[in-house]
Amino acid sequence: MIKLILIVISAVLVNNFVLSRFLGICPFLGVSKKTSTALGMSGAVVFVMTLAAAVTWLVQTYVLDKLGIGYMQTIAFILIIASLVQLVEIILKKFLPSLHAALGIFLPLITTNCAVLGMAVLSIQNKYTFVETVVFGFASSLGFALALVLFTGLREKIDRSNPPKAFKGVAIALITAALLSMAFMGFSGLV
Amino acid sequence: MIETVLAITCIGFGCSFALAIAAKFFEVKENPKIGEVNNLLPGANCGACGYAGCMDYAKAVVNDDAELNLCAPGGSDVTASLCEYLGKTAEAAEKQVAIVLCMGTDDVAKRRFEYNGIADCRSAQLVGGGDKACTYGCLGYGTCASVCPTNAIEMINGVAKVHPELCIACGKCISVCPRNLIKLVPAKSTVHILCSSKDKGPIVRKVCTSGCIGCTMCVRLTKEEESISMDGFLAKIDYTKEVQNKAIVEKCPPKCIIDTSNN
Amino acid sequence: MNILKAKFKIHGGVHPKYRKELARNEETKRLPLPKILRISTTQHLGAPSKPVVKKGDYVKKYQLLAEAAGFISAPVHSPAAGTIKDIVAGTGATGTPISEIILETNTTSDEDLVGVFPTNDWNTLSPETILNRVREAGVVGAGGAGFPTYVKLSPPPGKEIQTLIINGAECEPYLTADYRLMMEHPKCLVEGIQIICKVLNVQDAHIAIEDNKPEAIELLSKYIKDNGIENIKIATLPTFYPQGAEKQQIFAVTGKQVPSGGLPSEVGVLVENTGTTVAIYNAVVKDLPFIERTTTVSGYGIENPSNVIAPLGTPYQDLIDFCGGAKDGVKKIISGGPMMGFAQATTETTTTKTTSGLLLLTAKEISQYESAPCISCGRCIAACPMNLMPAELSQFCEAEDFESAAANRVMDCMECGCCAFSCPAHRPLVQHFRTAKAFLRAQPKK
Repeated sequence: MIKLILIVISAVLVNNFVLSRFLGICPFLGVSKKTSTALGMSGAVVFVMTLAAAVTWLVQTYVLDKLGIGYMQTIAFILIIASLVQLVEIILKKFLPSLHAALGIFLPLITTNCAVLGMAVLSIQNKYTFVETVVFGFASSLGFALALVLFTGLREKIDRSNPPKAFKGVAIALITAALLSMAFMGFSGLV
Repeated sequence: MIETVLAITCIGFGCSFALAIAAKFFEVKENPKIGEVNNLLPGANCGACGYAGCMDYAKAVVNDDAELNLCAPGGSDVTASLCEYLGKTAEAAEKQVAIVLCMGTDDVAKRRFEYNGIADCRSAQLVGGGDKACTYGCLGYGTCASVCPTNAIEMINGVAKVHPELCIACGKCISVCPRNLIKLVPAKSTVHILCSSKDKGPIVRKVCTSGCIGCTMCVRLTKEEESISMDGFLAKIDYTKEVQNKAIVEKCPPKCIIDTSNN
Repeated sequence: MNILKAKFKIHGGVHPKYRKELARNEETKRLPLPKILRISTTQHLGAPSKPVVKKGDYVKKYQLLAEAAGFISAPVHSPAAGTIKDIVAGTGATGTPISEIILETNTTSDEDLVGVFPTNDWNTLSPETILNRVREAGVVGAGGAGFPTYVKLSPPPGKEIQTLIINGAECEPYLTADYRLMMEHPKCLVEGIQIICKVLNVQDAHIAIEDNKPEAIELLSKYIKDNGIENIKIATLPTFYPQGAEKQQIFAVTGKQVPSGGLPSEVGVLVENTGTTVAIYNAVVKDLPFIERTTTVSGYGIENPSNVIAPLGTPYQDLIDFCGGAKDGVKKIISGGPMMGFAQATTETTTTKTTSGLLLLTAKEISQYESAPCISCGRCIAACPMNLMPAELSQFCEAEDFESAAANRVMDCMECGCCAFSCPAHRPLVQHFRTAKAFLRAQPKK
């Protein structure tokens, strides 16, 4: 129980996937223009990462380890993650077409989002049990969501504040991301 | 070796099977024509057609039988390709451009007071009715220029000027001008009266030396063509007719008529 | 004891230099009748009144010049006898186009008065008759908005008024017209209050006065006590701007909050300006239409700052000349108070029923700066009496995101100017909000 709580705090705050591990920067910068889109993307990532955690652990334990083909981990995981993302896209297109249109190209890009693959590989590396893996997946996606929504709020305000021309757009966004990342460093040593 | 290949293939098949079922159950029928029509459009998303962007217009064209000649930036080329794709015929709408009907620059038109506020025409209009002495004239703070998606409007000496070769007739400048000075005119028309002041001659002269004084000289010189008429004390061109007597440009006393065919 | 201290403290507000001592202690003077009066037909909120006279007509004093055009409108009467020279288009104090009736005045002789029928005992009149007199006299809110008073005194059925508040706060700097009215005409004021109480069937009335006017508080308190009036009390308010704003005053005196976008009648309160109350008295008791008002002519740029009673349609230049003329170095001329008044481009503008002040300000009284970007210091948020966030709103307006501004309640802004007054970056906040509101009002209703 304690270990689960520690996993959660660690994944969300201390070793935040975006701000500490620098994974998943693509949607972090691409979908952070509007809060509503960011929240939608966060929802999609939570779904994908939690399911991916469960399925990849099962495949790792009962297929890859059993057959001793651990070196196929990357391929197998990517297969699973890609299918999950496609599933999310189909569901979104059916039930939330406006969000699907708003996310556009960034939805299928969750496939190549190193945060999802990174989470799967890390939980294998840390030798987590099934429950711990699922909790780790869920917590990491929450950490991603937190970083994304925080950053979106900052970015909306900064874009409104009319930065100097040379800094407009991505430039000031990257600087802000760096500062936010430094702020999150304050959590180190918490657990 | 064989187990590896088999295992990965099984995983692959498993995933695709699950996806196929999902695709079947959660299918969303969409007309493929919409995407193809969208590709024929310029993609400027300017909204001149009256729809919310190119994709929206594509949907309307395919589903709601919208007019095919609504795309202003695309012009007759886009209308023709839409007609070809959908197998319909449509009349190409005449190309239009925006024009600012005022030439009261800061050297000819007076300002009533010292304005100390936001450099935006709509904001300036709220302060004492705007700092231009002529209540109809261009305030010159450039709101129209800042909303133009193609940077076609230049502020020259306190008055906005549209460069017709850059104008895509999207209408954004018209909707922001607080004095309704900008009008859409046929691109082929070259003669324009650059004044919108409805005041009487003596009042106009007091505030601007380039304003129309309502002398009706231009109306008389184009009597046969009937291309110019008076709206109170302001001369107005009827753009459905062509102005043939170009002598009005020299004869106009305040010189507020221009002929752009010389440029 | 009929003086109470207002219990509730509102959020926000600022403390500008009041400078009321300039025009405070002298008696109100009467302006000699000007030769030309240009009377606007837009003296009130609502539809401009329709002229019933034409060029060349001869009119008597108090004669109807323009009738009310619709429910929310008011008639305008002639302040003097004379000939109508013309009816022309002109520009009002706010810069909007108006229609002006130009009257060339004769000296007022008694034969040139339209008959008035004074009623000294208003107790005999029914509420309907009283309301009719108020309506026909063209009484409108003299505090600045100019809302037709008879509409305000006819709340919709189901909305009972329990409390009447007479706004004697006069929180704008420089202005002392209402203060002089309280000092010089306590009888008219108190009787006017009683008339309103009768019309609305209200038991409780308060005269709200800021504590920087102790003489007025004392004088009115004594008058009320000496005349044995039980239902009127004086509520003293802490002095700051905008204590005189309707919603803020209601909260300070009663603790009730008027809902966003709503009217005071929804919380059972009615607020009336002192000038309006005296006009009601004149209309009901003396059967006099609203044809003149007191304007404070003040500022360091005028020779003799004072309060002047002038007929409607007096050009500002006449007021300035009467008060000794303008000094050198006048940088700004404001119609109204310095916080919410309107800067004038010309002194040819004329007075209306809502012209409470004419200020000639020199360089040391005004400020002109280049505005800078918002530094998120939060002073504007601390100062806003409507609990809005001016910093956020101005950023939305600058980015032309008017929908987000509307979502953040920009329509609730009362344009009091507290935010712009406190901004260290000298941002034109109120102008941003006025632009946003104009844009949102022009949107077609969904």
